[in-house]
Amino acid sequence: MSFFRSEDMVDQWCAARGRPRRPLVSLEQLWRLALAWYENRLSPEARRPGPDEMRRIFAGIGLHGPFWDPQADRFG
Amino acid sequence: MDADTELRLAIYRHIAANAVAPSVTQMSRALGRSAAEIRAAYQRLYARRVLVLQDDGESIRMAPPFSGVETQHRVRVGDKEYFANCAWDALGVPAALHAAGQVSSRCEQSLEPLSIRVGRDGPEPVPCVIHFAVPAAHWWDDIVYT
Repeated sequence: MSFFRSEDMVDQWCAARGRPRRPLVSLEQLWRLALAWYENRLSPEARRPGPDEMRRIFAGIGLHGPFWDPQADRFG
Repeated sequence: MDADTELRLAIYRHIAANAVAPSVTQMSRALGRSAAEIRAAYQRLYARRVLVLQDDGESIRMAPPFSGVETQHRVRVGDKEYFANCAWDALGVPAALHAAGQVSSRCEQSLEPLSIRVGRDGPEPVPCVIHFAVPAAHWWDDIVYT
């Protein structure tokens, strides 16, 4: 996942590569993802979130739908 | 604590302290285990999606959020500069280190430099968006691209 200055920059990037436009995330949402994944990474108890936990984390910051489902099969 | 957890912590603590990934030899000496044992443990950590290794099977490519190789996402924390794997991980470095940091990256389309100050409570507002090109179910199909 990459930074872009604006949505227009995302559209240009996708068009140049023939790639579909996927969801955009704000800096604030990204920070909450960073905390959820990495805040305890240097502790003995650290672990990656499981599928259900991932869904809860995404939904909790407004990221819904099959794109954010780690077990979805509707995206190629 | 099991041996793989001990190794994982040693890897992360080495990166936090030195801003570079440790070699198999360094982990072997630090933990008093043979290089073969460390290599085997690396493979187990890879299987658990804790580490991503380079093609040689023993150099650390990713210990998320840290990158073992130079990338376009640099994160300065204190007097150290870390490399992160992606936009998410760029914010993940200060989150993991529980410290303020300065992210230096770029707009992926215009290549314009992008600088983000990250305090203990999060990033200061900067005009930008983050595009997730790969659905969550496929992140680990090619995690380096993701």
